[in-house]
Formats: sequence, C-alpha cells, structure tokens
Amino acid sequence: MATATPSSRTADRERADRIYFTLAALLGGIVIVYFACVPLLGGNLAFHFYLMLWITMASGFNVSSGFSGYMPFGYVAFYGVGAFTTAILVKKVGMPVLATLPLAGLAGLILALLFAPTLRLSGIYFAIVSLALAAICRLVITNMPETITGGSFGLQLGSHAEPVLSFYVMMVVMLVALGTILWLSRSRLGKALRAVRDDAEAADMMGINIARVRLQGWLIAAFFPAVCGGVEAWYTNVVDTETAFNTLITAKTVIYAVAGGLGTVTGPVVGAIAMVWLDELIWRRFPLLNLLILGLATVLLVLFLPRGIVGTVLRWRPGWRRFVP
Amino acid sequence: MEILVLNGIVNGLVVGGVYALIGMSLTLLYGVLRVVNFAHGEMVIGGSFLAYVLFHAAGIPPLLALPVAAVSFFALGYVAYYLLIPRLARSDDPESMSFLMMYGVSIALAALMLLLFEADSRSIDYTFNPISMKIGPVYVSTARVVALAITIVVSAAVGLFLFATLPGKALRAAIMNREAIQIMGVDIVRLSAFAFALATGLAGITGVLVALVFPAFNAFSGPEYSIIGFIVIVLGGLGNPIGALLAGVAYGLVEQLATVFLPQALAQIVGFGLLVAVILFRNAGFMRWRVGR
Repeated sequence: MATATPSSRTADRERADRIYFTLAALLGGIVIVYFACVPLLGGNLAFHFYLMLWITMASGFNVSSGFSGYMPFGYVAFYGVGAFTTAILVKKVGMPVLATLPLAGLAGLILALLFAPTLRLSGIYFAIVSLALAAICRLVITNMPETITGGSFGLQLGSHAEPVLSFYVMMVVMLVALGTILWLSRSRLGKALRAVRDDAEAADMMGINIARVRLQGWLIAAFFPAVCGGVEAWYTNVVDTETAFNTLITAKTVIYAVAGGLGTVTGPVVGAIAMVWLDELIWRRFPLLNLLILGLATVLLVLFLPRGIVGTVLRWRPGWRRFVP
Repeated sequence: MEILVLNGIVNGLVVGGVYALIGMSLTLLYGVLRVVNFAHGEMVIGGSFLAYVLFHAAGIPPLLALPVAAVSFFALGYVAYYLLIPRLARSDDPESMSFLMMYGVSIALAALMLLLFEADSRSIDYTFNPISMKIGPVYVSTARVVALAITIVVSAAVGLFLFATLPGKALRAAIMNREAIQIMGVDIVRLSAFAFALATGLAGITGVLVALVFPAFNAFSGPEYSIIGFIVIVLGGLGNPIGALLAGVAYGLVEQLATVFLPQALAQIVGFGLLVAVILFRNAGFMRWRVGR
C-alpha cells in the first residue's frame, strides 16, 4: 500500500466506493423489504411504526450533532410544531392529511430559521438555549386560544386514522431521510459541515461560507422531526402539548443516536434498532422500571460507550471507515 | 396595587434566595468540574422528598431535616462523583457528554422518585406558629420568612467558606485555572470530589427550603429548577458564585414581579426569553464565543 502508484490508488478508491455503495444499497434493500412486509404479514404495526419514527428522528439529530457539532437538547420543538401544524391544518382548515405533511416540514424549516441566530453559540450554551427555546415553544402553544390548539385537551383529528397508509408514509419519510443523509455524507456540503465542525477558522480559510453551510445543515436537521411529528399526529389521531413537546422525545432521540454513534449514516439506525428493541423488551417485562432503566442506560452509554456501537467498531477497525456508510 | 408590588418584592426575595442557592451550587460544579449538572433539579427535589419522609414518617420538623439533608446529600455526592465523573474525562467531548450523562441521571432520579412516591404532588403539612407574619403592610407566611433567613445564613456561610478558608480559596482557584492549581500541589481529584459533594449537599438543603417555600412538589418538578438554575448561572457568569447569588435574587424578583403584572404563563416565557437574550447578546461580546461571522 505504501508504494501505491497514483493509478492504483484511484483503483483502490474506486473499489472502496464500490463496496460502500453496494453495502448502502444492500442495507437499504433489507430495510425496505423488512418494513414493507410488516403490514402484509400482520406484524406488530405500532412497534415498527415507532421504530421507523425513531430511526428518522435519530438520523435527523445526527445531521446536527454528528455532522455539524451542535447538540440541540430542545430537538422536540421541531417535532411538536410539526405535529400541531398537521393537526391544526386538518382540523381547522380541513386539508387532507397527506397535503399537510410537507407543510409540517415547512413549519419546522421556519422554526429553524427563527432559531438560526443560536448557531453562533457553541457547546453547552447552544444546548441550554435550545432547551429554553423548546420550553418557550411549548408554553406559547399551550397558551394559544383554545379554538386553535384545543387547549389542554389537545386536538383530535377525527375520522382520519389510516394506520397502514400512515405506516407506509412513515416508511417513505424514513427512506427520504436516510437517502438525504447518505447523500450528505458524501456531498460537498457534508464535507464542508465536518470541516467547519472540526476547525471553523481553517474551513473559513479554505473558502467555505461558514454561516451558510451551518444553516443548511441546521435546516436539514429540523425538517425531518417536523414531518415525523405530523405523521405521528396522523397515526395516533390526537395531538396535545403534553405529549407533543415531551422532553422524553428529545431524550430518546439523543440517546438512540449516541448509542449507535454520531457522524455515520448507519450509526443512528443501528442505535435506534438496538435501543427501541431493548426498550420494548424492558417495557414488556418491567413497565414501571422503563424510565429508570432508560436513564441508567444513558449514563452507562456515556461512561462506557461514548462513541456508540458503530463508532466503537470503527475505532477498533479504522480501515472499515471507507466502506461503512 | 402597591401592596401587590410590595408582596411581589418580598416573595421575590424569598424565591430568589432559593434560586440563588441553586445557582451557587450549580456554578461551583461547572466552575470546578466543567460539568453541567442537568440533574440538579432532581437532587433538589430529592431533598424535598427527604424532608417529606422525615416529617411524615418520623415526625421530624423541616428545620431539623436541614442538617440531615445536608450531611446525607454531601455523602451521596462523594459516592456519585467517584462513580460518574472520572470516567467522563476519557470521552472526546467531556462537556457535552457531561450534559448528556447528567440528563440520564436526571431521568433515572425522576423515575426513582416516581417509583417511591408516585406521580401525585406532595407538600409538607408542617406549620409554624404563628402561621404568618406582618412585615410592614404585607403578610408573609412564617415558613417563607424562615426559609429566607436560612438562605441568608447558608449563602453567607458558603461565601465565608469560599473567601476566608484555605479549601474555599482552593476551590475558587480551581475555577480560575484548573492547571495552575495542580502545579501548586493541590490534589485536583480530591478537590473536585469535594466540590461535587458540596454542590449536592447544598442541593439537599435547597430541597428542604423548596418544600417550605413552594406549595407542592412532585417527581417531575426537577427540570423546572434545573432550567432556572441555568438561567441564574448564565446571568451571573459561569463559575462565579457571587454572580450566581445576585442573579438568583434578581431573577426571583423579576419572576415574582412579572406574575403581578402578567399572566402566570407569560411570566414563565419572560424568564426563558431572558435566558436566550442574555446568552445571545451579552456573551457574544465579551466571552468571545466563536462567532461564525
């Protein structure tokens, strides 16, 4: 390897790329076939719906934390605003549910633009401000007139429940999210984001427009949870501020993403699958201990596996970094 | 109206004192350890529950619960430090990871309190004699007056400790420069463990006061106090105990006066908005955060 000529190096890279994309296509294929079969074969619809939801949420969070280096601890704000956008548009404007989903995503983007000034903060300041902004969003929506948001009873979407259709819509959203992040990790934007995360000044010197790159990453990270909120509102048919802005949603998203490993496409997917499965297992056996174990799992994860499952494997076998999406 | 404003000021001082204690312990932790303790609110509520149990199971009044809470939480803090913090330093980004870890601790503690005490709001039915006092033209419950007095004593003691004793000076030195103090021969691990235990002990004391000052608490009240703590330490400047003290009192006054003029929910929004504004506009200037143009 040390004496590789330029042409053999190109061939080597092409080989690595081939493995990378084959692996991505293979994993993507397995995911599609698996989830597509769930309703057909009469699998556990709710479990798999939420599995896809958490994969999407954790992947979106990864764009912000893994690629751009921001830890938004108020991530639930996007989800909640998306959920309420869908509910209000269906209930008060009478739009068809499917048409409201892009608008829920749009609401997430608008919120992200409003929060964009916080991107100049870093580290713990960003995390605290993000937390406070999510609390503000919840308080604002809770205190809106009852005729709009339904007050403390929330909004019922009425006779719009279509579990199987919303399941497949969630699947499409998840695949779009995974595709976007796969593209992002290989794209100019993704590389620029990582460069800015690692050393903003050096990236600036290389001619990267730091503010623009950060904003673009932030918008991608905000879009998907908002759509997730909309789809979940449709699936459960009810939205209220207590559940739509529950900080546990942020907690689970963060924990699942970190469990898998930030910064790779597969990390949050692996983390979400492992943890949702574990969560379900615990929930069935010890419903009361669920929350306690979730908290303890987080502590143990940070202490013993801070790089997550995929991150630890990659640290152990750095050569695989080129092949693993 | 005048009475309402005066009432707001008195209550603001009482509540602000509690916030100041929360802020002082949080800022000590952050200053010495660079750990952002998201679980601080749960530790405080843990102190409230301890006072609740001591009173309802053993008949021990809250005033006697204070030393019990302080000592037991101090000891728990020591244990928690050695279980949690030393390993944390090995991760790539200890500060963010500390936030995440304490987030986990906060969930676990809230769940534990939920298991032990269920989701109902609790309050201690202890009453002082007389129930309320007249200060100038306003009536204040004796519990609140007592709480204020305790706050003043405790914060004075902490201040005295930090500025007049050698271990206290070592703590302040560690906040200023963690590397230099090790060169001076201070065992930073022991000092950090002490800081953690001190902060937890203060949280326990604060918890007893919360049970005296606020009408009720439950297993999920924690995050509210954590967030108020963050607001206070950011307002007072991270790692500055005296700043936290002043900011806590100021925040309590603003909050209580805001409830006089604004609806309750709006007053809360004002608090969070204040935090965001302070971080965005004040710190951007003099603390030189990396500004992405």
